[in-house]
Parts: sequence; C-alpha cells; structure tokens
Amino acid sequence: MLLNFYKMNKIILVTAMLVSTFISNAQIAKVEIMATGLTCSMCSNAINKQLKTLAEVEKVDIDLNKNLFLITLKKDNQLTPKTFKDKVEKAGFFVGSMVLFMHFNNQTVEDNKQIDKYIFIDTKAQTLNGLTKVKLLDKGYVTTKEYKKLSQRFVKYTSYNNDNEQDFHLKAM
Amino acid sequence: MMKKIIVFLLLATSIQSKAQELFVMTEPASNMPAGAIGVRAMNSFMYEKDGTLNYHIMPEIMWGISAKWMVHLQSFHSSRTTGGLKTEGGSIYAKYRFYSSDEMHKHFRMALYGRYSKNRADIHQDEIETMGHNTGYEGGIVATKLVNKVAVSSSLSFEKALNNMPDYKFPTTQSNNATNYTLSIGKLMYPKKYTSLNQTNINLMCEFLGQRLNANGKSNLDIVPSLQFIIRSQARIDLAYRKQLYSTMTRTAPNGFMVKFEYTFFNVTK
Repeated sequence: MLLNFYKMNKIILVTAMLVSTFISNAQIAKVEIMATGLTCSMCSNAINKQLKTLAEVEKVDIDLNKNLFLITLKKDNQLTPKTFKDKVEKAGFFVGSMVLFMHFNNQTVEDNKQIDKYIFIDTKAQTLNGLTKVKLLDKGYVTTKEYKKLSQRFVKYTSYNNDNEQDFHLKAM
Repeated sequence: MMKKIIVFLLLATSIQSKAQELFVMTEPASNMPAGAIGVRAMNSFMYEKDGTLNYHIMPEIMWGISAKWMVHLQSFHSSRTTGGLKTEGGSIYAKYRFYSSDEMHKHFRMALYGRYSKNRADIHQDEIETMGHNTGYEGGIVATKLVNKVAVSSSLSFEKALNNMPDYKFPTTQSNNATNYTLSIGKLMYPKKYTSLNQTNINLMCEFLGQRLNANGKSNLDIVPSLQFIIRSQARIDLAYRKQLYSTMTRTAPNGFMVKFEYTFFNVTK
C-alpha cells in the first residue's frame, strides 16, 4: 500500500515535470505584430486598447509609423497566437505579420515537426534554446498577398492548407 | 469657385503626409472598434435666406457591436422655428462592413448602411434630408480606399421621405425619393512623423455631397472643406464650412458652419 502510494507520487511528479517542460516550451514571452490597413494614431490606439484588455499583457510598445506592436506578456501565460489575431480584428484591422518570442529549453526542431500546437515548417534541423524568435506563417497571420504565395510554396505540408485554427505553423528565425 | 476647388484638391494631394478617413459629413466603410462607444455632437450654424443664422444640434451615440457591425442613435434639435431649441426627431443608423482588403498602410473596404428617421418639422423644401428634416429612410453602399496615407471615400444611396409627424404630409407636388452621391477626400497634415499617441493629429478634408430628386430630376451639389483635430487618439474636433455649388431645387439654408465634437470610449462592451 505504502509502495503504491510512493509509485503514485512518482507518477504524478514525473507527469507534472513533463507538463511543466511542455508549458515552458509553448510559453510566449513577447509578441510583435505588424497590423495592416491603418495609418492613423487613433486606429493604432484602438488596437492598443484591445490588447490591453488581456490580463496577461504586461505592456504594449507601439511604433506608430510602422504600425508595430510589441506586446510583453506576464510569465506563465497560456495565450495562443489566435488571441492576438482576434484582438487586432476586433479593433477593425488585420495582422500583416506576427513574430513570437518563445522560451525553449534545448528543444530540437526539424522541418514539419510538431510540438504541442506548433508545427515548424520551412525550418532546418536545429536545437532551440533560450528566447527564440519564430514567425507565424498561417492564413490571417501574414498579408493576404503573402498567404497566396505561401499556400503554393507549402503544398507539401498537408496541415498548412487545412485552415485549422487550432494549430500554428512556425518558422524559426 | 471651381478654381478654388482645384487649388484645394491640388494642395490636398501634393503634400506628403498621412491621411484620415474619419470624415465630417459622411461615414467611411470602416467601422468603430468592436466594443467601443462613441459620443458625438454635430453643431450646425446655417444661414437662412434673410441672413439670420439658425442653430441645429444633432447629438449621436455610436456602438461598435462587432468588427463588422455598428449602430448609431441620433436626435435632432433646432432653433429654426421661434421659441428656442426644439427637438424635431431622431434616427437609427446601422452599417455592415462586408468587404476588406488590407495591406501595409493601405486598405480597400466596402460597407452597406441604412437609416430610419422620424421628424416633426414642417416640410419646407424640395431637398430630402432624413438627417434632421424628413421622416423616412435611406439605404446605400460606401467604398473607402486608403492608399499611402490618402483616404478617398465614395457613397451612393437611395433616400425616401415619408410624411412628417404629427400630420405634416409630404407634398404630392414634390419628389419623395432621391439618389444621393458623395465623394470625400482626406489627408493627415500633421504630424509628419508620429512620436506618441498623445500627439494632436490635424487632417484636412474636402467632401462633395450631391442629391438628385428621382421624380423630377432636380439636383444640387455642395462642397464641404474641413479641418479636423484628433486629440490624444481618442477625441475629435471638426471645423467645417458647407457651401452650395449649385442647386435647381428649393433649399432653405444650404450654407453654413459646422463644429463637430466626438469622443470614443474603448472596450465598453465585450
């Protein structure tokens, strides 16, 4: 009985450790968004105000001339790229590019490798460690023009053209 | 007059800076952010034929239901008749953005809109105006293009006047429906380079508003140059002058000054 209890504890401990590495692997520290369709500061402010409704957002730095929004997130957040895309669209605009700054812990990646909800494509085999920049390539995360080009270039990745909003295609930068 | 317009247009398009589409007289195809509430007051000081000024105020509340849908509620008050400011009517307006093609620093958008108004003023002119004069409705389409910081917007609508309250019948001798067309051009003059959200932005705009009465072919065209100040990326003050370019219909007070205030409260609803 006692042994079983220890075994159970060990299993829980191992699971917890696995989950925590998995969480730290998928953790987004910062997001850089280039928004399209706007030039005015009132429009930028609309996006700024939308982003700040998220409790996980620590601060938003804006380059008004380039329509760039650098969002710093609080630790241990569970946000996915879709949250930010939805916020930009609620403000009445679109995402032209999105770069994530993610924490990796000696994570090996290779072309077409899936880690949690993220699929690395157009990426050489490498080990990611520390804060790493990755670019979103999915529809809605690049400009319409760029997506048209990418959807032809990435025909070999069956998941890419699925239009599935649950997984995200990344390129390590 | 034509010379002045051409000079103004050349001036507006030759100076390199950023543009706006938050026009004074017309709504662009773009909407307010979802969840935002805007309050607005349009003050008009219009010259009557005898040279006296009458005052109209049209307070408005606007709500961005979603990124694609927004609604406005508006009321109309005027000092046109004796006895001070009187409430003459109100309207409900809705706009649906159905097309968006956005790229870096540019977009092309289209929207459908409709308005229904009630009014208790006496019917005193050929011109149909459901924003403040006639009970009736209007439905139209608007397209807005923003290219390299210059915004151009154009709309086409059908407007129909009904009998005014309480028993001001629409005269059978007049056309009770009209086709409206607008062209708006806007350009941000200041700042040349953004440094913060607190910077005041100054926009220069020019709008053309035309109406043709469908039953008799009578028409008019107005020009409205305006200067707009956007304060702390949240408030707006517009100064405009409306001038009739030509008209073949009766209108009691087509020319005058306008001052419009607007304030946006972001994220009021989810």
